[in-house]
Amino acid sequence: MAPPSGPRGGTASRRRDGNRSSGSTLTGGISKRRGNVPIDRDGDVSMDAPAGGSNPGRGGRGTRASKGSRGTARAARVSSYVEDNRPTRFNRQVLKIHGLKNTKAASNPDGGLRGLIEFIERKASKDKPVKIGRRALDGDCVWINVGKEDAPAVLHLNGYSYAGGVLTVTETDERVPMAGAPANSAETAKHSKDAAELKQKLGEVLARRYNPEGRLLDLSSLGSDPVLSTLGTFESESRAMKAFRALLHIVSETYKNPREKEEGIQAVTVANNQVDDVNTIYQLALDLPGLKRLDLSNNKLDSISKLAKWKGQFRHLEELHLAGNGVVNQENYVTELLGWFPFLQILNGQQVRTRQQIDEYLKTRSATPFPTFLPSNVRDSENVTEAFVRAFFPLYDTDRATLVSTMYDKDSVFSLSTPPAPRPTPAWSSYVKYSRNLDPKALRTSHRSTVTKRLYTGANAIADVWKTLPATQHPLPESGRWIVDSHLLPNVPEPSVPGHPGVNGMIITLNCEFEEADVSQNLFGTRGFSRTIILGPVKPTPPPNTTPPYRVLSDQLTLHSWKPQQAVVEQPPAPVMAPAPVIAPAPPVAAEPTVDADGIDPQVKAHLTAELAARTGMTMEYAQLCLSGAPNWNFDAAVAAFHQMKAALPPSAFTPRPSA
Amino acid sequence: MASVSENTIRSSVEATEAFITWYYDALNKGRPVASGYVNGNKTYQTANHAPADIVINGLLVNTPEEWDALLEKQRIPNSVLEANAAKSDSPLVQYHVESWDTHVINADYTFAAPEDLIKKYSKGAGVRMMLLVTASGTVTFGLDKESPSKKQHFHDTFTLVPNWEVIARAGSKATRRYIITSHNYRAYP
Repeated sequence: MAPPSGPRGGTASRRRDGNRSSGSTLTGGISKRRGNVPIDRDGDVSMDAPAGGSNPGRGGRGTRASKGSRGTARAARVSSYVEDNRPTRFNRQVLKIHGLKNTKAASNPDGGLRGLIEFIERKASKDKPVKIGRRALDGDCVWINVGKEDAPAVLHLNGYSYAGGVLTVTETDERVPMAGAPANSAETAKHSKDAAELKQKLGEVLARRYNPEGRLLDLSSLGSDPVLSTLGTFESESRAMKAFRALLHIVSETYKNPREKEEGIQAVTVANNQVDDVNTIYQLALDLPGLKRLDLSNNKLDSISKLAKWKGQFRHLEELHLAGNGVVNQENYVTELLGWFPFLQILNGQQVRTRQQIDEYLKTRSATPFPTFLPSNVRDSENVTEAFVRAFFPLYDTDRATLVSTMYDKDSVFSLSTPPAPRPTPAWSSYVKYSRNLDPKALRTSHRSTVTKRLYTGANAIADVWKTLPATQHPLPESGRWIVDSHLLPNVPEPSVPGHPGVNGMIITLNCEFEEADVSQNLFGTRGFSRTIILGPVKPTPPPNTTPPYRVLSDQLTLHSWKPQQAVVEQPPAPVMAPAPVIAPAPPVAAEPTVDADGIDPQVKAHLTAELAARTGMTMEYAQLCLSGAPNWNFDAAVAAFHQMKAALPPSAFTPRPSA
Repeated sequence: MASVSENTIRSSVEATEAFITWYYDALNKGRPVASGYVNGNKTYQTANHAPADIVINGLLVNTPEEWDALLEKQRIPNSVLEANAAKSDSPLVQYHVESWDTHVINADYTFAAPEDLIKKYSKGAGVRMMLLVTASGTVTFGLDKESPSKKQHFHDTFTLVPNWEVIARAGSKATRRYIITSHNYRAYP
């Protein structure tokens, strides 16, 4: 793919110019405001362009147009006009290659173009990777578009043999022709001129046929449109339908994205067009899938089967007009249409379904979340799970070194993963560099070393990574915020008997949230997480003073951008809104006002206190004391002060540590 | 037991990727997943392995078939309207995995393993593995996938063990080389 600054960007900017020229001929002040101006929801169809030179977010339109260009010959020509008249980009160079026809590759289905491009890219990429942009094949000539700086490397291939033939590479001022468009430049120019004129005319037609108040696009009676009938290109019986598709294409180009288009056009009339099967206007369903009102009156749709192509389309259609079509004389056609369009309320001006019925239908949709949501499912006759949670998380919050030395050994494995989230709060930054999210969207499997590097094996490696992770404060087990599921897991390794087929371990999956304080990056907040831990039997010679009779075999931590504790049994059918703010648990050091007298958030103070207590081993009271003595609760200053005064502090200033 | 080799780690990632792809693809296409659990597996049945432990939102589900039935109930349209609207190969419920990870729990898994496979695949070969797999993402409900009527977050935890019959078949690379012995699903708004 070409880089963003490549030909696509050129296309977009050129298209804007093209639009401007036709826009200037439009009547009636139809305009679509974009850019920094709030988007006008009246959704005008317009060929106008935004003010200002920049074109942020235009990639979407470019894609849209190029997609559409495959639609019809007319559309292709309109779009070829746009493409062919791009100004030459100062940093691009078009090269012409002859000789492909005499190679063995010429018999390939694509005339050998792709193979040739790959060959050139490979051969030219000696010093730096060379990427070929647009390319086209016509007869014996291949045009390619490359970066100006890459051109010498490709020109160097002049005279190379390829697949039994010899290639000649030359520079040219010609443009890369559109695929399928005539390569002859004189002809191209003629087409371009035709296309420009045509596009302008169609733009005028559209402007006349759009009603911004009703967000209605009137495509009725196209065959007798005074302007369209003067266009020579539409002379034939299918003139109306050709015009129809061309108009739709231009409409699609006009909107920045499908959503805007959906906002802008909610109703379409295709009345009086002699349509005998919706297949001929099928494009409408593709271009305007979110249409609410559709008028097909006075066509030649004689039976329901002539509408069948649209079954399953127009998911939001509320109003449909079919008067003047043979289909209305058919039995059961109403029932049929009601089945096709779940939101259809008005058919030929008659109410066929009430809003209430639709609401009920929405309620009875079976595609609903599982109705059951039960609290923790702990199946554990010996209460290992509870003892584990009670022992594990307080230590993880205050003394990870001790935790790792008592519950992990050299075979324990830990990893964490962060799912992609646009703006998690707090930011992921303290975690992403450790994330072992193996999803290809997050971690390319080509980064093979990461797969092993971010798997922390052994107590030492785990202790090291834990040291760098932000300080945490997990809720108490009594807080009601934990969802803990656990059960016995057969066949985990039994380390004391080599070759043992395995014994029962315990698998514990925890879903909860913790308070987080990353002092180094000044990130504080509440973080949702899931953590799965597998416990297995300890080794034959456990280190002294290790109390738990189990060790952690595996510890997988997944951080979420959401909070699991918000789970409730049933959700109302209303659309899911942004998550409600989570009420943070009372900070360890209670403080009533949101900002203390010294202007520092008590919650921030609580985090800092917890962190300092964790780092130094001081009690919360002393940690707070130490911080309040530092200027502005500066954490580093407090740490420095602690080290100065350490020797003078009484033993009661320190939290008694579990013996390690 | 020595720590698992790099080779085993890579194998675990490959095996997990294949599993994740199969499992969620099946859910999203409305196909049953019962065959991915240890329950119906002859080798494990003969060796008296416990049935898979399946817990869905805290509810103990007895068999994988029951789980399939729950999934089916969740996705199958129950009105004429929906029946017409939903395409059979693209149910109204769609799972989107955003994150997954895997650990080797037992790199020397021998339970119910045929002798020849124990010999053929050494401890470091990355075949006789018990895996812990977690996956999370979002699940969407409704006709319109672009703006679903409901959206939830989910977190799945699986333990997987080798499917000896498939592993014994030479060249069978793709399908269900590992089967589920434990499955925990939780979804949140």
